[in-house]
Amino acid sequence: MDILEKVTNSDYKYGFYTNIESDKAPVGLNEDIIRFISAKKEEPEWMLEWRLDAFRNWLKMTEPEWAHVKYTKPNYQDICYYSAPKPKKTIDSLDEVDPELLKTFEKLGISIDEQKRLSGVAVDIVVDSVSVKTTFREKLAEMGIIFCSISDAVREYPELVKKYLGTVVPKSDNFFAALNSAVFTDGSFCYIPKGVRCPMELSTYFRINESGTGQFERTLVIADEGSYVSYLEGCTAPMRDENQLHAAVVELVALDNAEIKYSTVQNWYPGDKEGKGGVFNFVTKRGICERNAKISWTQVETGSAVTWKYPSCILKGDNSIGEFYSVAVTNNYQQADTGTKMIHLGRNTKSTIISKGICAGKSEGSYRGLVKIGPRAQNARNFSQCDSLLMGDACGSHTFPYIEIKNKTAKVEHEATTSKIGEDQLFYCNQRGIPTEEAIALIVNGYCKDVLNQLPMEFAVEAQKLLEVSLEGSVG
Amino acid sequence: MDMFKDKLLSSFIVFENQLNGGKNTPFHQQRRKAIDVFEEKGFPTVKNEEWKYTNLKPIFNKDYNVFLSSEESLEFRDVRRFFLSESDTYKIVFINGFFASWLSSTTHQNYDVCTFSAALERHRDIIDKYAGSIGRNEDNFTALNTSFAREGAFIHVPDGRAVEKPIEIIFLTTNNENNTFSQPRNLVVVGRNASCCVVERHQSLGEQASVSNSVTEIFADEGAQVTYHKIQNDGENASLIDSTTVKQKKDSTVTIHTFSFGGKVTRNNLEFDLEEPGATANLYGISILNNRQLVDNHTVVNHIAPHCQSNELYKGIYDDNARGVFNGKVHVYPHAQKTNAFQENNNLLLADTASVDTKPQLEIYADDVKCSHGCTIGQLDEDALFYLRQRGIPFKEAQALLMFAFTTDALQNLGIPELKNKLNRLIARKLSVSLDFDL
Amino acid sequence: MLKIKNLHASIDGNDILRGINLEVKPGEVHAIMGPNGSGKSTLSAVIAGREDYEITEGSIEFAGEDIMELSPEERSHMGLFLSFQYPVEIPGVSVTNFLKTAINESRKGRGQEPMPAKDMLKKMREVMAVLEMDKSFMSRSINEGFSGGEKKRNEIFQMAMLEPKLAILDETDSGLDIDALRIVSNGVNKLRSEKNAFIVITHYQRLLDYIVPDFVHVLHKGKIIKSGGKELALELESKGYDWLKQEATV
Repeated sequence: MDILEKVTNSDYKYGFYTNIESDKAPVGLNEDIIRFISAKKEEPEWMLEWRLDAFRNWLKMTEPEWAHVKYTKPNYQDICYYSAPKPKKTIDSLDEVDPELLKTFEKLGISIDEQKRLSGVAVDIVVDSVSVKTTFREKLAEMGIIFCSISDAVREYPELVKKYLGTVVPKSDNFFAALNSAVFTDGSFCYIPKGVRCPMELSTYFRINESGTGQFERTLVIADEGSYVSYLEGCTAPMRDENQLHAAVVELVALDNAEIKYSTVQNWYPGDKEGKGGVFNFVTKRGICERNAKISWTQVETGSAVTWKYPSCILKGDNSIGEFYSVAVTNNYQQADTGTKMIHLGRNTKSTIISKGICAGKSEGSYRGLVKIGPRAQNARNFSQCDSLLMGDACGSHTFPYIEIKNKTAKVEHEATTSKIGEDQLFYCNQRGIPTEEAIALIVNGYCKDVLNQLPMEFAVEAQKLLEVSLEGSVG
Repeated sequence: MDMFKDKLLSSFIVFENQLNGGKNTPFHQQRRKAIDVFEEKGFPTVKNEEWKYTNLKPIFNKDYNVFLSSEESLEFRDVRRFFLSESDTYKIVFINGFFASWLSSTTHQNYDVCTFSAALERHRDIIDKYAGSIGRNEDNFTALNTSFAREGAFIHVPDGRAVEKPIEIIFLTTNNENNTFSQPRNLVVVGRNASCCVVERHQSLGEQASVSNSVTEIFADEGAQVTYHKIQNDGENASLIDSTTVKQKKDSTVTIHTFSFGGKVTRNNLEFDLEEPGATANLYGISILNNRQLVDNHTVVNHIAPHCQSNELYKGIYDDNARGVFNGKVHVYPHAQKTNAFQENNNLLLADTASVDTKPQLEIYADDVKCSHGCTIGQLDEDALFYLRQRGIPFKEAQALLMFAFTTDALQNLGIPELKNKLNRLIARKLSVSLDFDL
Repeated sequence: MLKIKNLHASIDGNDILRGINLEVKPGEVHAIMGPNGSGKSTLSAVIAGREDYEITEGSIEFAGEDIMELSPEERSHMGLFLSFQYPVEIPGVSVTNFLKTAINESRKGRGQEPMPAKDMLKKMREVMAVLEMDKSFMSRSINEGFSGGEKKRNEIFQMAMLEPKLAILDETDSGLDIDALRIVSNGVNKLRSEKNAFIVITHYQRLLDYIVPDFVHVLHKGKIIKSGGKELALELESKGYDWLKQEATV
């Protein structure tokens, strides 16, 4: 396969650095830092107490080691926990946003203006953990939809935040979630009132800018009874030699008959070809479904040096549905341990898991999932399909599905296959005039189709491009 | 569990003193190393990922007799039901860990079908070469077994020989008065292009608790053919921890059938090393459990060499409060290209209180491989059940028939007619039907 | 158009082709016949540039150019089409998407603009009508779950879409029933012109009733042992290959 070996190198396309004066907290973590963050955000007392409680729990916890990843554990005292682009003044419209920041977004390919015009996507942009601007806020407000930064929500909608924050991912759920609960600096908040169908995609873009900072955003989405929302999340970070830490928490609450569709295109800086630098992406994402509710996670994971991420669904209500569609691409020295948990508690609950792993270079990709059918979950159904595609013989691909069944009426099916791109498939494409690199892109896209189909249109195109970029120079 | 562990550690000193001259052999050095491993590791708890679903506390919180006394009053007719045949098989029979020569039928002609202790005398070269070189010495239970290893079955088939009769290995325990703990140690060495077929069984005869910690090492040289059947149908107080490790050379085929129909806790650790190209490993398992029985099948297939094949198929049917655990790992090493690994685990749950935990895993470090695994948990097909009943077959029998159908693909290639009949009867009794279904 | 001189090729050290000489001019149809294992499929694979084979001697010229060093896709861009004996399944890639990519890459290779989607669709519909194919075909994954006949029809469909200068049909008749054979042949005949050429590789004479060749060559042990007109095919049909084999060894 000489032809595959010679395929070019591709550099991280989003590795630029925006010079915006930032407002940083001193490096390190202690109760004072947490007080600093809370004060900086003008938070009420209860929020500070909540953070401190999480912090005290975190001190007692140890960093998990069960995932199939190897990395040097970050020194948590070496990280800056607050870094905000200094606002020149309060921002009310896009015209007032720092033009340099706007350029950043353009480079990211998410020119806000364009998004606004073309697709009507409402965007909340978070740079180094602070929400910079939420578009379409007023328009959404007319329908009673709240879409703002979580900091604003803490101040403006304390009763909603208080009621739901930490109910899906408890503040001491795991090491990284506890850390996030203590120090989260911003993130998005979204509330869809009863019976409202959110008319546009809501979107958040996360970006780590400042060096030596960690990003700890917190997202809370509440879909009230009978409502619907589709939520998009995108991530990038500049190229840096050192590893940057990203430990986010996302909580989704789908009340009776509500539906939440949550899509992520994760493209944090993966490190260079020697495995130097890159983002540690340790994320806790979980949703809870009440009666007849549905939560659907779709993720395209192409970035990060280390990924530790299991978007999950607790199917608490009868007839609720959980879905997980994932494409995880690892190249060079990237490591990803990702999957989902489907916890069936209610009757007639259904879940679907489609996971497509693609490993290239010297990377390691693992699917780790749990399907749990509780004793009261009559007639629960699960179907899981976990496929891996290996490119080259220096990478590793692993599958660790846990299936725990405590009810006899359960029907659970799990399938997994491992394959490579066939030389005959490539030759076939070559013969029809398609160059090898194009052919690989074509085949990989075909392989991922079930997942990409779940993404909203604009996102699918971006995801497809990302796949191609991530795999350039990967085959050998 | 600590109390029994301490007892075992001090028992080792007693055991060592009994050995006299045996203390100076290379094999005894292995025992010493092994007891250190066990001392350090002790019994695994559920915190150990490999024992996540099987809690041994209720078993090892009890006390057991470690040094059992011999029992010579048993006659063949008392235990006839545990055997395949009265005359058409070789037999290596143990009672309370002591060789029962009057129940056995061994041989040294053309090949050796005898006891481990006899081999320690007669075939020290083979023991030193193979015993302890195949098993997982760092494993808690293998280490414990090795420390006390003295007796068990020994099969050695030289190059080109075929053992023409099935070999039955039976471990009987008379646990009428005391709780018993026994540790058989088996070694099967099959030479180039040689073959043999084995049926192994552990059976407790009393009502007290019994635990067997059995270790079997199987070596299959180039072109060897080994078929090994484990029949596990012990009483409600009997537990078995079985660790079987297989090492395979070029173009050899080893097939292990595990039939688990009874026992309190049955843990099967089955591990294959496919070391040379062309080796084929077949792992077939059928578990049919009820009451509070638990079976935990832990399999590992290490594809070390390229061009090897493994087929794994485990079927489980669980009723009442029975529990099934399946943990299957296929590990494809770097450069083990053209590996073909297939793994499937299918389960039927018949009661709300029964449960299944399954974890099929793939760890793959080579790209030109075909690996797949699948598992299902479900119930019998309602339409099929209705169809059978409409043609007059009663519900229970229809169910049993469908369950038979469910297990059949794991019963393929069952070569011994006596075994087939025996399993037929065992399964029928297990499902409490009297129909004669054909496997 | 195609000039093959003294072509020797081997795979894993085994010589398969041992000195093939063949010239194909525009407008011609050549049939290559021969028993199993004579090297028919190897010849087509080598012409198309399959890298598993090592060319040990000889040359291949296509459209006036030495193509020995060219990649399969470059040869394709030049107008060389191979209809595979066993078309490969590619899950998740639709026929439409696949063809669109193939056509536009070929055009790019020839320095042309991509074909407008409207034109492409129109052309697809026309060709599908000729080959009596169902519309649903377009959205199915390439060859996945196709019957043998569907796979072959798909090959001819692609050939018609790509409009090659030289098409090599490798055992296109195998696995086809008589109706499918008629449809496929009809498709091929519609494409015949003074500008293009075909090499039809087949085991049986049957196909040659539908696609009438100008020349027939018999391949045996990697060599063309006999060439003639279309009547040679009939002779082979009645007499078998044995008389030729004997003749060749004498």
